[in-house]
Amino acid sequence: MKKTHIALLVLVAAAVCVIVSMFGDMSTYETFGTAAENPGKQFHVIGVLEGDRKVDYDPQTDPNHCSFLVRDKAGNVKKVIFNGAKPTDIEKSEQIVMKGKMDGDAFRCTQIQMKCPSKYKNDQIAVGNAS
Amino acid sequence: MQTQFIGEHLLPGQLGHFFVVLSFIGSLLSAFAYFRAARCETIDPALSNRWLAIARNSFIIHSAAIIAIFITLYYIITNHLFEYHYAWAHSDRSLPSKYLLSCFWEGQQGSFLLWMFWHSVLGMIVMFRAKALESRAMAIIALVQVCLSTTVLGIYLPGDLQIGTSPFLLLRHQMQEAPIFQQADYLSMIKDGNGLNVLLQNYWMVIHPPVLFLGFASTLIPFAFAVAALWKGDYKLFIKPALSWALFSGAVFGTGIMMGGAWAYESLNFGGYWAWDPVENASLVPWMIMVAGIHTLLIFRATGRSLVITLFFFILSYVAVWYSTFLTRTGVLGDTSVHAFTGEGKSLSWQLLIFIAIVAVCGYGLMIWRRKTMPRIKTEEALWTREFWMFIGSFVLLLAAVQISISTSIPVWSPLAKAITGKDVAPPIDPVAHYNNIQIWVAVFITLFCGGVLYLKYKQTSLRSIARIFSIVLGVSIVLTISTAVIQGIDGWQFILLLFSACFCITATVVYAFSSQKSLKKMGPSLSHFGFGVLILGILITGRKKEVISLNTLGGILPLGETDTRKAMKESQENVMLYEDIAVAMSDYWATYKGDSVSATDPRTFYKVLFQRRDSATGKVLESFSLYPDAFINPKGQEGLSANPSSRHYWNRDIFTYVSSVSGKPNEVRVSQATDTFKHFTVHRGDTIYLSKAFIVFKDFNTQISDSRYTAAPGDVVVGAQIEVYNLEGKINTVQPVYYIRNQAENFIDDTLSSSVGAIVRLGKVIPEENAADIQVKEIEQHKRWIVLKAIVFPHINLVWAGTILMSLGFLLSMWRSISKKGKALKG
Repeated sequence: MKKTHIALLVLVAAAVCVIVSMFGDMSTYETFGTAAENPGKQFHVIGVLEGDRKVDYDPQTDPNHCSFLVRDKAGNVKKVIFNGAKPTDIEKSEQIVMKGKMDGDAFRCTQIQMKCPSKYKNDQIAVGNAS
Repeated sequence: MQTQFIGEHLLPGQLGHFFVVLSFIGSLLSAFAYFRAARCETIDPALSNRWLAIARNSFIIHSAAIIAIFITLYYIITNHLFEYHYAWAHSDRSLPSKYLLSCFWEGQQGSFLLWMFWHSVLGMIVMFRAKALESRAMAIIALVQVCLSTTVLGIYLPGDLQIGTSPFLLLRHQMQEAPIFQQADYLSMIKDGNGLNVLLQNYWMVIHPPVLFLGFASTLIPFAFAVAALWKGDYKLFIKPALSWALFSGAVFGTGIMMGGAWAYESLNFGGYWAWDPVENASLVPWMIMVAGIHTLLIFRATGRSLVITLFFFILSYVAVWYSTFLTRTGVLGDTSVHAFTGEGKSLSWQLLIFIAIVAVCGYGLMIWRRKTMPRIKTEEALWTREFWMFIGSFVLLLAAVQISISTSIPVWSPLAKAITGKDVAPPIDPVAHYNNIQIWVAVFITLFCGGVLYLKYKQTSLRSIARIFSIVLGVSIVLTISTAVIQGIDGWQFILLLFSACFCITATVVYAFSSQKSLKKMGPSLSHFGFGVLILGILITGRKKEVISLNTLGGILPLGETDTRKAMKESQENVMLYEDIAVAMSDYWATYKGDSVSATDPRTFYKVLFQRRDSATGKVLESFSLYPDAFINPKGQEGLSANPSSRHYWNRDIFTYVSSVSGKPNEVRVSQATDTFKHFTVHRGDTIYLSKAFIVFKDFNTQISDSRYTAAPGDVVVGAQIEVYNLEGKINTVQPVYYIRNQAENFIDDTLSSSVGAIVRLGKVIPEENAADIQVKEIEQHKRWIVLKAIVFPHINLVWAGTILMSLGFLLSMWRSISKKGKALKG
């Protein structure tokens, strides 16, 4: 066997290990209900804005606090707290994808991504701070 | 009944359609003729030459037609002919003319056209220079142009099938159901277009797509030569052109990718230049494979080894380009990408999948067909040779590209994973950490190889001859590593390791360039490797030491024993509220929002923020500058803002700011609203009251009143409250509101906190049983204008840009050398 072949085998084996282990990094899409079963662990939750699409954000008291109601795919409505400035146009979003975890009865999210109705507007993303 | 529409300009569209069809037929004819020319090349040279003439002419016609399409579309956009969907969707009347070009590449068809344009330009050069390989390489190039032309063809087949979308589609055809198009004079109602996405209204968006697409297009040429070599069964002729073009691709493609990073840094509020976004990854992967191919081709040129993997890399790089187009253009990435283009739906997906299959079959099919006749060297290479380690390095690049592709493609394979495991797989929660944790090891390996392998020679290296110089390099790089780590404060052993490998790469390439290569002509490899080392060093320092300075530290300025979790949380928060004219501390600076401005010609609002650095002892201003982060307020049809950053550049760091929220409408009259009532606070000695622009501490009661506003009278019960006033800069005042009872009536002497704070404080009453005071505050000027700002310091970001530029220059230097070298295809 050539040295090259041995080296390649070692590299491929290492790469396979890395790739297998990286599946642990990957998240899953959940609902509020399933996310609550694993409090403290972060998930992706997809939902739509509820409560007359009202978003509470008062930068004069706290520029890093924004909260609103979201209905997930299973139909549950939960309060979502986002530690960051209000994402632009969130009121108009068709769908929002949130990364975060359940904290008591509220969902604390660190990142929000939105789908907006206009075909000609790119998707938006907003990043807050993990708390 | 056919409606006669009023005011439409149909001629440009008809011309455009004609040119689209012409370019398609031109490429088809050219591909066919080149194919025939290649088939009869040896049997009947005269016939072959006739086919060649037809092929060349049709390719020239094809290229001319593409330019004509461009001109027609540009005419439609500049003249605001909104009856055309493309003009309506991507431009409007208010768009500054410098951004008119950006409209081209905002849309799907425009960017395909740009891609085709570069292919045809590069194809022309190949046509005149490729000589013996011309017919075969050009047959491939023309075939690819046939595929690309179909994306703008816009043919509708029965059964809802559609091949491509024409950029000259009329608005009334695109939206046939809309009632407005029932009226003959509908155009009089469409006054303006939809406009260009505000994110793209930036000079980087004018220059970065053409460069990036030239990079994309350039990967076609090494692919075409690899296929041509396989087809002809000649593996010598292709080395020189493939190497020159691959080096060109490495330079231009690499520059294009980092220009995308510069665009993200300058105009998006990502807070950085690289986010491992799927669109970024999709262009990085083919580049990495191309670079791997360059190195294995060098091995093949010098030793005759590694032919198979070289061809494999060049083919894979081009397949990856098409795959990345598939990822970013069809909407398959869906929720995972910030700037994936909106999809044209299923038909484009199938179209692109078929093209990927065509490219892969052309390449890999030929490789399988030729597998027995490809030259191979049976003997084993020695361990300490350049070819062995260069090969390993290229393979590491391939594996890294595979990892990035798998993670980026999650949305592609997650339906399959769901069918098997039942889990709905989502991308990693923190994608940046996910990629960084893996790719840091790739970076360590590659930078070590970049520095070390230069010292090895092909076929045989005497280790003793390089031991001395190598130990010097090692010593210098260890010293560099330690000093950089200490000065920059890099910690964490894996980062120290990466720092070492970058320092090693930089030292080794510099020493090699001046000790071995000496003449500038030969310095291509060491220059590009040096640039790569600098780039990695820059990435490491900016990534590790990037610091958000706009921390909300109110309440943390005095050690007031804040245990409240909400307040503690606030301290770690990264947006800061700036009221007009009130200075807020940010790291070494005081930042003050000084107001905003708009201009008639620019739709943006600019926010002036004054930064001052003061001497902490004397308070003297040492440095003062203003930043103007800007934002589109309520861009077309949307509420809210779309912010653009503004940065202060130093040689060793950037201060990067953007507004994340602003008060009301710009230039709205400032409301000077007095709150009607006093707010009540019951406080004990030492307690703090937070106001919007200051905080006050109640120190103690005082019965010895000496206030000019109070004259003592017998029988008075009098008490004052000693109150200290602080703003973020420290203590600014001491005040003493007075409370007294005279003739059984309560009297108050209010005090003003200070002229800058604008609040009135009153001692409402004393609560003896609690030993507390009722302090009342009325804030006068509460509703000032404000912005919410985020500010980040990026140390040594210039290393990132400089590294990229040097690396690309190194590629170009090598390319120039490869082109100017005469004949010597295979050494020894």
